[in-house]
Amino acid sequence: MSDPSSAGGTNVEGESPRVEPTIETDEVTITDDAELERTLGLTGGLAIGIGTMIGAGIFVFPGLAAGRAGPAAAGSFAIGAFIALLVALPASELATAMPKSGGGYYYISRGLGTLPGAVVGLSLWFGLVFATAFYLVGFGYYAVDTLAELGVPVGDGLVIPLALLFGAGVTVLNVTGTENAAKLQNGIVALLLSILIVFLGYGGLDALGIVGEPSAPEQFAPFGTMPVLTTAALVFTSYLGFAQVATVAGEIRDPGRNLPLAMVGSVLVVGVLYVAAIFVATGAFGSERLSTFGETAMVEVGRHYFGPAGAVAIVFGGLLATMSSANASVLSTSRAIYAVSKDALLPRRASHINLRYGTPHVALGMAGGPILVLVATGRVELLAEVASFLHLVTYGLLCVALLALRRADPSWYDPDFRVPGYPVVPILGALASFALIGFMQRTSQLVGIGIMLATAGWYAYYGRDVTLKGVVE
Amino acid sequence: MTRVLVPLAILEGESVSTGLPTLLATMDVTVLGYHVLPEQTPPDQARLQYEDRATAALTDLVGAFEAAGGSADHRLVFTHDRERTVDRVADEVAADAYAVTGATGSVDRLLVALTGDLVVDRITAFVAELVGDREIGVTLFLATDDEPGGRDSIAAAADSLAERALDIETILAVDEPPLEALVEAATTHDAIVMGERSPSLRSFLLGEEADRVAAEAVGPVLVVREESTDAATTREQGIDADRASQRED
Repeated sequence: MSDPSSAGGTNVEGESPRVEPTIETDEVTITDDAELERTLGLTGGLAIGIGTMIGAGIFVFPGLAAGRAGPAAAGSFAIGAFIALLVALPASELATAMPKSGGGYYYISRGLGTLPGAVVGLSLWFGLVFATAFYLVGFGYYAVDTLAELGVPVGDGLVIPLALLFGAGVTVLNVTGTENAAKLQNGIVALLLSILIVFLGYGGLDALGIVGEPSAPEQFAPFGTMPVLTTAALVFTSYLGFAQVATVAGEIRDPGRNLPLAMVGSVLVVGVLYVAAIFVATGAFGSERLSTFGETAMVEVGRHYFGPAGAVAIVFGGLLATMSSANASVLSTSRAIYAVSKDALLPRRASHINLRYGTPHVALGMAGGPILVLVATGRVELLAEVASFLHLVTYGLLCVALLALRRADPSWYDPDFRVPGYPVVPILGALASFALIGFMQRTSQLVGIGIMLATAGWYAYYGRDVTLKGVVE
Repeated sequence: MTRVLVPLAILEGESVSTGLPTLLATMDVTVLGYHVLPEQTPPDQARLQYEDRATAALTDLVGAFEAAGGSADHRLVFTHDRERTVDRVADEVAADAYAVTGATGSVDRLLVALTGDLVVDRITAFVAELVGDREIGVTLFLATDDEPGGRDSIAAAADSLAERALDIETILAVDEPPLEALVEAATTHDAIVMGERSPSLRSFLLGEEADRVAAEAVGPVLVVREESTDAATTREQGIDADRASQRED
């Protein structure tokens, strides 16, 4: 009945990928003996994408980015959005052809083979761990600012302890909590969008000089074009969420319609908001002053436009946004680990579900543990860039996988959504993803390459005999 | 033939009491084993771990229904959303009723609630089929504010069933809280048949009426569904007809 396909090979423990024939419909995945209900709609998908992304771009990066690139940081965010779109379109096609949990890992392992699959699957795990740690440090800054707004100035020394505390809390809650937090997440995203639209709408009018005092004109790119590109590489972390939609592809209703809309839609929404946020923030203070406010620069921007109430709204929004980013990423990490473990590239017990809560506690622990270690380093920019590095490798390979699948055209490959502008879009997507890596700091590149080599080493030791290419359920 | 869906939280040990398979012996039964997962857990992950155990339990249950003389099959679903799953499967198997299981031995007398949105004919037709040629008495129950009108409609329903030579009694609850009166009447009956209620603010706040009745009464509750089987497709907004037809392929 659940006899795995013999074509899959075995790992060193003798486990094989668990591959079974399934039938996908809009509402359910049908296996031999059971059905898997698709329960997330378009709203749920958008909430995952936007909820993962919005925390970083608006609430953490504006000060850092403006300090590096001046007002042209808006251009850095626009470049990021453009690259994200170039990848979101091919990712949408692959997701509708293979609407399975696992996202990028699944497409690359099926399209390109086990070695790239293993490297990407395990790198995604670490990429998400780095991203989550980054969101948590952002949360720490907002938690400290919240206390300051409440009249309890504690200083930045508490940023890391608070981030660690919250990171541990998120992990434990995900293991033990069985309430439906998805509705809460949808509400948080809706609330955040409302706060931002009011704030950016008014701030935008002000920055253009239509209301309020005209701001001092500033040179658009005071440091030249190179910082714009390196800043784009830094802030790309703000766009990592769209692919997380694909990690729950197996649970999305009507995937042929909802997956592309959720992925492309969430990139467009956050891209516009990010560019507007930088525009408004640099309009309020000028980039030099903005950069001195650091991670929570937007709080000062809120104070500038709306007084204390504005500051409180932004602090509150920043707390919610970084929380929702961290939580969504922890969930994605656990799903990424599950997808790899199902294919016998990690021990099967990694995807074990505990009886008491029905939650994947091993995978959640494998997410939460390393996250806390990285949070403790407190290196915001390094965490962000390594996260982007590992995701960008996935994104580039994902575009390559699309090209390979289109050329081989296997009989099972029948996407509902086809990427417009083929083959230009996936080729550009791959080139842009790999190129962006080149603009990162040397340390980030070395850490990223080190992780990828380690994952390749793990593959060589553990899963060399597993075959996944074209093994589609 | 008429089909009854029996949804059970199969991995939480929900099962059917001995009387239910006997009561449903005249029906086609689909046992729907479902397992609700927290959102942290992909349904597929739970399937890999629990499928064999759940399937074994479901096979046993199907055996119990068949041993009682009925015909039965089973479905197993892993889901995040119980309601969506029950509605979908009920539509797919074109179930005329679903069962809220309760504890009962052999059923001697059914309480049939005619109060509700569903046309009375659909409920009486279901009851006639359910009882078949067995020695099961039927008590018709109607709660109303309009005494003469209520008397007429309950009499008409009793007549239509009397043609099938069933042993009929009637209870007319006038100006009483309908649910309380029904639960009160249920104490002397082994099982309840009632019509499905369309969702309302009340059901949103307090839960489905059938579930509240089932919680109060000990015996099983059979809820007769609306006739239309395309409820699911109208519920899904924004899904046009050609997408719905893609489900076939």
